[in-house]
Amino acid sequence: MSPVLAVEGLTVSFRGKIPAVSDVDLTVGGGEIVGLIGGSGAGKSTVARAVAGLVRPDHGSIRIAGSELLGARRAEVRRLRRMLHLVFRDPYASLPPTARVADIVAEPLAIHRVGNRGERADRAAEAVEAVGLPTALLRSFSHQLSGGERQRVAFARALVTRPRLILADEPTQMLDASLRRDMVDLIDELANDRRIAILHVTHDLGLAQHSCARLVVMCRGHVVESGPTAELLAAPRHGYTAALIAAAQHRPSKGLS
Amino acid sequence: MNRGLSRGLAIGGVVLLAILLLVALAAPLLAPYDPDERSGRPFARPSAEHLLGTNDVGHDLLSELIHGGRVSLLVGVVAALVATLIGAAVGVAAGYARGWVDTVLMRAVDVVLSLPTLPLTIVIGVFAGPGLGTQILVIATVMWAGVARELRAQVLSLRERDHIQALRAMGASPVHVVSHHLLPAVTPLVVPQFVLATKTAILLEASLAFLGLGDITAKSWGTMLSLAHSRSAFLTDAWLWWVLPPGLAIALTVLAFALLGFAFEERARPSLRVRSRPARSGPAPRRVARGDGPALVIENLAVTYTGDAAAVADVALTVSAGELVGLVGESGSGKSTVAAAAAGLLPLAGEITAGAVLVEGRDIATLPADELRRMRGNRIALIPQEAMSALNPVHPVAEQLAEAVLVHRRVGKQAARRRAAELLTLVGIDPGRGRDYPHQFSGGMRQRVVIAMALANDPAVVIADEPTTGLDVLVQEEVLALLDTLRRTIGIALLVVTHDLPVIETVADRIVVMKDGRVVEAGPAAQVLTAPEHPYTRLLLGSALRLQVPEPAP
Amino acid sequence: MGAERSAPHGGDTLRHGGAKVGQYGVVVWAAATLNFALPHMAPGDPVQYLYGGDSLGLAPELVAQVRAGYGLDRPLAEQYGAFWTGLFTGDLGRSVQYNRPVVDVLLEYLPWTVVLVGVSTVLALLLGVALGAWAAWHRGKRRDAVAVAAVLTLDSMPGFWIGMILIAVFAVGLGWFPSYGGAAIDGTGAAWLADALSRMVLPGLTLTLATFGGFFLLTRAAMVTVLDEPFIRLARAKGVRDRSVALHHALRTALLPVSTNLTLVLGSLLSGAVVVESVFAYPGLGRLIFEAVSARDYPLLQGAFLLVTLGVVAANVLADLLYPLLDPRVRRGGARSAPGEVTV
Repeated sequence: MSPVLAVEGLTVSFRGKIPAVSDVDLTVGGGEIVGLIGGSGAGKSTVARAVAGLVRPDHGSIRIAGSELLGARRAEVRRLRRMLHLVFRDPYASLPPTARVADIVAEPLAIHRVGNRGERADRAAEAVEAVGLPTALLRSFSHQLSGGERQRVAFARALVTRPRLILADEPTQMLDASLRRDMVDLIDELANDRRIAILHVTHDLGLAQHSCARLVVMCRGHVVESGPTAELLAAPRHGYTAALIAAAQHRPSKGLS
Repeated sequence: MNRGLSRGLAIGGVVLLAILLLVALAAPLLAPYDPDERSGRPFARPSAEHLLGTNDVGHDLLSELIHGGRVSLLVGVVAALVATLIGAAVGVAAGYARGWVDTVLMRAVDVVLSLPTLPLTIVIGVFAGPGLGTQILVIATVMWAGVARELRAQVLSLRERDHIQALRAMGASPVHVVSHHLLPAVTPLVVPQFVLATKTAILLEASLAFLGLGDITAKSWGTMLSLAHSRSAFLTDAWLWWVLPPGLAIALTVLAFALLGFAFEERARPSLRVRSRPARSGPAPRRVARGDGPALVIENLAVTYTGDAAAVADVALTVSAGELVGLVGESGSGKSTVAAAAAGLLPLAGEITAGAVLVEGRDIATLPADELRRMRGNRIALIPQEAMSALNPVHPVAEQLAEAVLVHRRVGKQAARRRAAELLTLVGIDPGRGRDYPHQFSGGMRQRVVIAMALANDPAVVIADEPTTGLDVLVQEEVLALLDTLRRTIGIALLVVTHDLPVIETVADRIVVMKDGRVVEAGPAAQVLTAPEHPYTRLLLGSALRLQVPEPAP
Repeated sequence: MGAERSAPHGGDTLRHGGAKVGQYGVVVWAAATLNFALPHMAPGDPVQYLYGGDSLGLAPELVAQVRAGYGLDRPLAEQYGAFWTGLFTGDLGRSVQYNRPVVDVLLEYLPWTVVLVGVSTVLALLLGVALGAWAAWHRGKRRDAVAVAAVLTLDSMPGFWIGMILIAVFAVGLGWFPSYGGAAIDGTGAAWLADALSRMVLPGLTLTLATFGGFFLLTRAAMVTVLDEPFIRLARAKGVRDRSVALHHALRTALLPVSTNLTLVLGSLLSGAVVVESVFAYPGLGRLIFEAVSARDYPLLQGAFLLVTLGVVAANVLADLLYPLLDPRVRRGGARSAPGEVTV
């Protein structure tokens, strides 16, 4: 069976400059959480944005459940897009500033013309419950919510189309430390209970170790190393990975300077 | 400008506009004569029958004035409406479509904006001929471009916001994005554009009419002034009743729109509240002999922002020379307020309402402003939160370092420059790069320069407010290691404020935990980390996701 | 996206400069083409526009003669070509009113406008920037509100009206300054200069008052934005004196968006010059435009329009050349920053 997401030879450059991402390969299977690791400017967010269709790759292949996304006809692209969802880093910016939670969560259904108004409302309520928020919140406006609640709403919006793949771009970075663990637990739950494939973009190795089965490490647009989390952390082969591990333990690095 | 003042201006504008509109609408009822009727003898001075006298053919000037508002307002408002609609359509299309559509449209906009407005209006107006309709069209032709440029910029920035990007990532069509999200968001921005366009259109109409390009059959205020000018009314007493009133009427109308437009613009800015004069019942300034006790002592500190409950209360902590104390708290804990108060840099709206901040024994909470300034950057230094934008973009870094020395020390420029080079070396930057500007440095290097600046005058106390936020993970560690080394070698008292406990747990000697404006736990790092007493500290420690790997073989 | 946008390369500066030059070229082309097109697009016979306002009663054979003389019987494209050939050889047609080549008339009036607008621009700039910076520094306080209200009020008054009031008060009422013309016709030397200067006081003052509001509002807005920047906080943390924070750090940076928006203010200054010169019968281009409108001297009007456009373009080129002196970020590669964009 083909993986839910298979990226091969992905290269993205902005306005003819040095590629932000070059020749990236990675796969994510159903129910699997893969961590995409790297520092700022490594190109990891660009990979997620390319899969979500926000930036146009120069070349490469992105297959969703075995079907090629790049260069596909419009109807096929729409069908494949419905199977994935991107969750952004900043929950204060990624939700419309003046809309009710019910409408925010139901919007993907409206975009893809799924069901009638009543059915969409039901599915939105279902999704809000699934991320551990009270349904009473459905009538609140986004600006009335805390950062943690907002990020849960973002995940509810991701779930409502019953996607097979969620791309999570540093979803915990803007949250207070005491809320991060809950968010990571929620992501685990989505992968385990709903068999959703999750690509978790993060620079936080501690967090990645906690929930990712496999890691893909990026540095300056290239994948420098990838493998099962435990193996990779115990015996990093690349100096950059070693440096990241040292930094995460707050001890001086012996690797790349 | 604070919200109250900008509100006041807006209300003033609305009231003024309402009166002017009412007068214009009720003109036939209010005017004593038909403005086109020869109701008196020519050039009559003001009298009971003709309050503002008459013009050169005996028309009543007051009636002309009252009726003139109809023409001025009609031309101004309709021309602005047409210009705004065209401009909005072009701006939104260019901003959302981008690519060649944008290029073509914006080239046209730039050309129209680069042509001198009034001469352009005159040239087109002369050829288009007289009449209110042509006047409106001519003014709109000249004015749409400004609206288009402004709205395109707004749409471009909206388009890049995450919540619009999120829609595109969900597969939403451009039609859905524009109709459901972009237009509702842009509409409130169109209103101020229309208001400002009306203001310009009314002035343009007046200028055109003054130059004799108005419609002589429908006299506006500008036409009245044009006639007054050609009859040289301003060379006699007649200027008082013939020149002054129409000009004032134009000014008031334009002012009404200008006030509204200004209020809209100010509303878009973050609000700024002003502190009422301190009504503080603080203790008398205290001086303790230097050298005895910790370099920084904060005693039962309380800070209040105008109109709110205390942001922080009862905060106490000490930092001794050579010591690194971590002040940990999440959003809203008040940790940054403590940092700002300790550095004597509270925002305008904030005020220390109780307690003391002693730096080397001097209470900076009660120091006069100028003495406080002499302390800042000299005895107590702040490393502020925003590493990427904390340096002035238009001065070379060495100059900014030298400035830090020169404001506190009577030394020559040469000596200050030598000190700047020394400081750069101290933080691991080649002193030769001192001539470079901040944009030529990476984020981590900029943070090093900021740290160097804090050390310029060998301060006793340094407060670092989230010194690693926004930096790359590897750079974060470098910056932290640098701070740790410096406080040991130079012996400064270092207070590091952070939201992330693990960041400082390996370098801090002591840790202070804040929540909701209060200190919930404080103690030696080892004790706080291994045997926390407060449940909140336990939550913070428990929720931290630490990387656990066996030490790799050396 | 910020992290992914690398510093622009040197090539961008060149391409950017090229685009700018192209842009200005397009502006001049558009103004000239508008001049060519208007007589053809306007209602009635172009002869009327080219020959002047009193051509309506001309005998038909004379009209035909004029048509042939202006080449109006030739195809449009050919006429357009001839129009450009004329422009490049400095032929802008003949003024009906003065019965002289338009270029000669314009060059005679140009210096007066250059001096008047130049002096007023400098005064308005200094006054507007100083007052705007002062108001921004005291933002939120009563004195800021008063300054803003006063400037908005002044800015709402039509320039020609301010001029008429000033004449009524200072020239007619008090008799302090002359109200009319540019200089005595027969004077020489110092006496002539003193007379010319005294005649420039009122129009100069009018123009300055009518236009400094634009500089004030621009400076105030830019400065208020800059004062919230982190580097201002750092300057305070260093212990820099308020005065130096305001001038050396805030105002210095706030001047960047002010200078990029110069075009807009310059346009209003030149527009102001048209009406103000008319009121004071000041022998400049604005007065010429006013006379041309009254006399329906179309060739003269069009020539003046083209010259004023060239003036605006020249001022913009100057501003572009001087900008790198203000902003180190464009000095060594990189594009001119967008208005308001003070930090990267």
